[in-house]
Amino acid sequence: MTTAPAGRGAFDAHRPPERDLLDDCVHCGFCLPTCPTYQLWGEEMDSPRGRIYLMNLAEKGEIGLQGPFHEHIDRCLGCMACVTACPSGVQYDRLLESVRPQLERNVERSRGDRLFRNAIFALFPYKRRLRAAALPGALYQRLRGVPAVRRLAARLPGRLGALESLLPPVNVREAFATLPAHTPAVGERRARVALLSGCVQDVFFHRVNEATVRVLAAEGCDVLVPRDQVCCGALELHAGREDPALGRARRTIETFERLDVDHLVTNVAGCGSSMKEYAHLLADDPEWVERARVFSARVRDVHEVLADLLDDGGPRAPRHPFRGRVAYHDACHLGHAQRVRTQPRAVLRSIPELELVELPEAELCCGSAGIYNLVAPEAAAQLGERKAANVRSVGPTVVVTANPGCLLQIGRHLGTDLPLLHPMQLLDASIRGTAVPVR
Amino acid sequence: MALDKTIHSAFARATGPENVIDDPVRCRAYECDGLTGYRVVPDLVLLPRDAAAVAAAVRVCAEHGVAFVARGAGTGLSGGALPVADGVVISLSRLRRILEIDPVNRRAVIEPGVTNLEITAAAAPHGLYYAPDPSSQQVCTIGGNVAENSGGAHCLKYGFTTNHVLATEVVLPDGSIVTFGGDSPEQAGPDLRGVFVGSEGTLGITTKITVRLLPTPETVRTLLADFPSIGAAGDVVSDIVAAGIVPAAVEMMDTLAIEAAEQAVHAGYTVGVAAALVVELDGPVEECEVQFDQVKRICDRHGCTRLHIAGSAEERAAIWRGRKAAFAAVGRISPDYFVQDGVVPRTRLGEVLDRIAAMGKAAGLRVANVFHAGDGNLHPLVLYNAAAGETERAERLSAQIAELCVELGGSLSGEHGIGTDKACSMPKMFSRDDLAVMQRVRDAFDPDGLCNPGKVLPTPRLCGERPGPYRPHPLEEAGVIERL
Amino acid sequence: MSTPTALRPTDLRGVRDAVLDSAGPLAIAGAGTAAWAGDLHPVDAVLDTTGLTGVIAHNPGDMTVSAYAGTPLRELNETLAAHGQRVALDAARVARGATIGGLIATADAGPAALARGSMRDLVIGATVVLADGTVARSGGHVIKNVAGYDLAKLLHGSYGTLGVLVEVVLRLHPVPKQTATLALDCPLAEAAGRAAPVLDGPYEPVAVEWRSHSSGDGSGPAATEAGRLLVRIEATPDALGARARRLLRALGSGATEAGAQEWAAHAERVRGRPEQAVLRLGARPSTLPGLLAALPGAATDAAALTLGVGTGVATAALPASAEDVVAAHHAVHAAGGTSVLRDRPAGLGAPAWGPPPSALRVFKAVKTALDPEARLGPGRFDPWI
Repeated sequence: MTTAPAGRGAFDAHRPPERDLLDDCVHCGFCLPTCPTYQLWGEEMDSPRGRIYLMNLAEKGEIGLQGPFHEHIDRCLGCMACVTACPSGVQYDRLLESVRPQLERNVERSRGDRLFRNAIFALFPYKRRLRAAALPGALYQRLRGVPAVRRLAARLPGRLGALESLLPPVNVREAFATLPAHTPAVGERRARVALLSGCVQDVFFHRVNEATVRVLAAEGCDVLVPRDQVCCGALELHAGREDPALGRARRTIETFERLDVDHLVTNVAGCGSSMKEYAHLLADDPEWVERARVFSARVRDVHEVLADLLDDGGPRAPRHPFRGRVAYHDACHLGHAQRVRTQPRAVLRSIPELELVELPEAELCCGSAGIYNLVAPEAAAQLGERKAANVRSVGPTVVVTANPGCLLQIGRHLGTDLPLLHPMQLLDASIRGTAVPVR
Repeated sequence: MALDKTIHSAFARATGPENVIDDPVRCRAYECDGLTGYRVVPDLVLLPRDAAAVAAAVRVCAEHGVAFVARGAGTGLSGGALPVADGVVISLSRLRRILEIDPVNRRAVIEPGVTNLEITAAAAPHGLYYAPDPSSQQVCTIGGNVAENSGGAHCLKYGFTTNHVLATEVVLPDGSIVTFGGDSPEQAGPDLRGVFVGSEGTLGITTKITVRLLPTPETVRTLLADFPSIGAAGDVVSDIVAAGIVPAAVEMMDTLAIEAAEQAVHAGYTVGVAAALVVELDGPVEECEVQFDQVKRICDRHGCTRLHIAGSAEERAAIWRGRKAAFAAVGRISPDYFVQDGVVPRTRLGEVLDRIAAMGKAAGLRVANVFHAGDGNLHPLVLYNAAAGETERAERLSAQIAELCVELGGSLSGEHGIGTDKACSMPKMFSRDDLAVMQRVRDAFDPDGLCNPGKVLPTPRLCGERPGPYRPHPLEEAGVIERL
Repeated sequence: MSTPTALRPTDLRGVRDAVLDSAGPLAIAGAGTAAWAGDLHPVDAVLDTTGLTGVIAHNPGDMTVSAYAGTPLRELNETLAAHGQRVALDAARVARGATIGGLIATADAGPAALARGSMRDLVIGATVVLADGTVARSGGHVIKNVAGYDLAKLLHGSYGTLGVLVEVVLRLHPVPKQTATLALDCPLAEAAGRAAPVLDGPYEPVAVEWRSHSSGDGSGPAATEAGRLLVRIEATPDALGARARRLLRALGSGATEAGAQEWAAHAERVRGRPEQAVLRLGARPSTLPGLLAALPGAATDAAALTLGVGTGVATAALPASAEDVVAAHHAVHAAGGTSVLRDRPAGLGAPAWGPPPSALRVFKAVKTALDPEARLGPGRFDPWI
């Protein structure tokens, strides 16, 4: 019999938050103004500084994980705005990444919460189930074959309804469409890339994927879309469901590593940020650590690839001018987590006559944050309203953002009068000279 | 002994139960402010939503003899918002409305939880701004600024919080509401507004503040100059002053501080240089250009090794980012550090820095220096490693530096406040009579001693039965001041 | 009634001894340039501060000076001028020899308050003797200092009722290389509108004042009907011309460059005439012109008015009448402002203060804490204290 290594304080031995990382925080509070939950409630425990303070106490064994601690960690959106704001370089992202799995392992959640979370994770990472859910008609009818959803519906039909209301209507053609496995570059090839098509993205925003493939090809990229790809595990990773997330990470690596491409490209901020983390996630797994490192090093957000191509010889495809004000919303997982801020702006500016406008409170999360608008709908709605008001305040013609979660969330609060797009849709329309779509 | 249930429910009635935190774990998040060395868990944390609720909460305190401590963003560096055992923390973080921006009279009326930078952001569309700019301006609140009489990099030209607050509505320790100051600088009777600003939360809680706004300067010119020695940089400051120029800001950083800031924000400082000087001039374009040329010539005359003039708003922002991030950035080059905040007469800067260096050497600890060179306000950062058992030595060095400033004719604190941290050092700067008179003023506001007790003035409980004996102030010995 | 004992100490010890050796009500007197606020009740002794004079320490490099409170500001500034420095306060009575301590105790200030504030903004340290002989010091010799309560602020505007100021430390400003004054004739009602571009713009004026042409001697137009807007800038020689030209454009038609003597005329309006009751009042700047114009007797040729267009501080020298002063206090109070009676003919019998502010209880508590026997300056705050 082997004894498990002793945990630290209230944490178990499997990757507790590192003492050095906790000590980096000097309690200066510079993170407070950018933290969405502190903005909403003004409570210290719901700020990054407060959460790190509680982690600190838990690590020293002065408080337990159950109760206030897990509630306040649960309320964190994981937007990582605090990481951008921190002058001391505190790696809150790493801290949260180690604490959330600890909670999943060691905290007893209420039955309702458990059922709801199980249902979410029985649905979102599965394209097939999402398609079923997306079709017109009651969610439950389509999903009764999935045990976790059936259990939720039996106990808490209300929350199932909440889930359903978040999913936008989508037409059958789009939900079931698939991308071509290989799209050749237009003209001389400048790069060869493989595209992660995503789960929510491919079902609800298939048109974004199509636009992305067309733009990449027009800019001189051969685009491969492996048919056997699975969910990258981002949603589970950000919710602390470590084991399933790692499983998906390994399968994703397997699928993509054998391709002879320059970059593994994604147009989803959340997926990009998790795939860039694989190397760290699998650092304890000797069989996978090197493969993960090589994989993560090849991951690029589509804007990074396009901005590099712009720098290296300028745009290949001629653009048609777009006369209007474009408000770009930084998706948290792109801006804060991946620090990709200048590239999307550079790509948008490659469209002639386009006027790029910045949003007030740009650093503040829209409230989507992975599954946050499902598990904390009230807070998410307040943040969504606030984001929508900030968007309206600059009077844009079009709003663009590079994450399906943000598109869904902002779309709900902004209404339908203002076009809300992924930047690739706008660029695609500019290259093709077609009308700018509304969604 | 914790507060009993009746008192709890009285507070819940005062502020609304949803604005009370009574869970001991949650309360621990409030056990310290920006100075983490002192920690006390409050019994309750109240988060009132308006002035009436603040007053109601304070009335409950008065009625039941419960001590209270007001808290803004908890960024203070002197332990001014340290809770009191069996007391309550009244957090102003939910009083964050901007009540009025009056561009005609150039003023703003705001609640205490509004951050310093939010005032400027709200005024900016009218071509106005709020001048005091403490380094933590993006997070620190105006209520905290009023309590601490915060300065900032630009206070050399523009003054401190007290010079910009026209009026403040205050909940007194008995729970009544009064207003100090008014719509103009003219006041009927003594300047109670001036006494309240900078009283570190010991005379009451501000619930509404009227501040002056200034027109955004037409021109701002900023330069970053490297020097081979601190002395040379200091001479530049003296010459600028002697030339009759009042810069908007003059900031100095030494090698260690530059290294930390550069690591944190990559602002374009030269790593390895002995001293960097940030000089900023603002004002009418004609004036600014003439004086800026003078400043450049003065820099050259003192052996400046690199002169970087901000060519755009972004470059200027980068220079300031480096300077303003310096404190927190020191966390990158040292596991732990203490920040000091002493002031010396500007002409003694060179001397005090030499002595700090010698003291650091003797203590075997590194000291990084960031300071407002224009007004002699030093921020020595004593670097140490708690894990290596250096805490006590660092604490001692830090206190010695503060007292050195007093010895050189200066002050214990230029802007961070006395708070908990330096209360016991007050007898080094003030006589027993000085402190007794301050206590009389305090008692006039707070006869029951419930309002942020233990801060600012030394108490036997905190500092031992006999606070350190008063030694004659050197100015006294020099005959500059008299003490009877 | 016997004449009060005259005490004239020349140093800190002397002040303390004078306070301790006397008993009963005590008045503090400086150069006698301002018998303002409430009429003094009979006192047993008068502490004359005019023997407390001279610079204690001046280090030009630090731009601070400490001096005895009885030093006339004019004299101090003459001394400092040799070093190109000054105390940047230009209250009207400085020219008449007002002392530093008196200027602090009466919270006086002049047009430059727009940029430099009043004494409260310039005092960085003070040594005070309380009515029980306690000597207390606060602040220090550095501009930036937040250690302890600021007792100098408490003495500012206390009219000699809280303690005797003995030593004062002041922050200094450079004497400007050059100044320019621009003038524009307009009635009171137009002053704010004409000054707005200057106050809202990037010009950094040091003073923006309007004063009536009328001095109240009955020889000209009504005080509200005609007057002059004055703008002062301080500049380096190379920049002065361009700045003045730009300001002239901002002021618009009718603006001209004027001489420094304009400010002497302004100061004269502030001081008023012997037969006038002079009120100093403060209110939100936008409400002030209307408020001034409506004061009893203001719209006549027997009044003199000045208006700090940016600061919201004004003076109204009105035909002396006790009832009118009462009415004026109430009008100012109703507009959210404050007012105090300054010079007036002896025996006018008008109240110096209007309705009390909400902070009066705190003032009273402070008074009790520092002067429990109510020795100092009895009557100055009648009817409040």
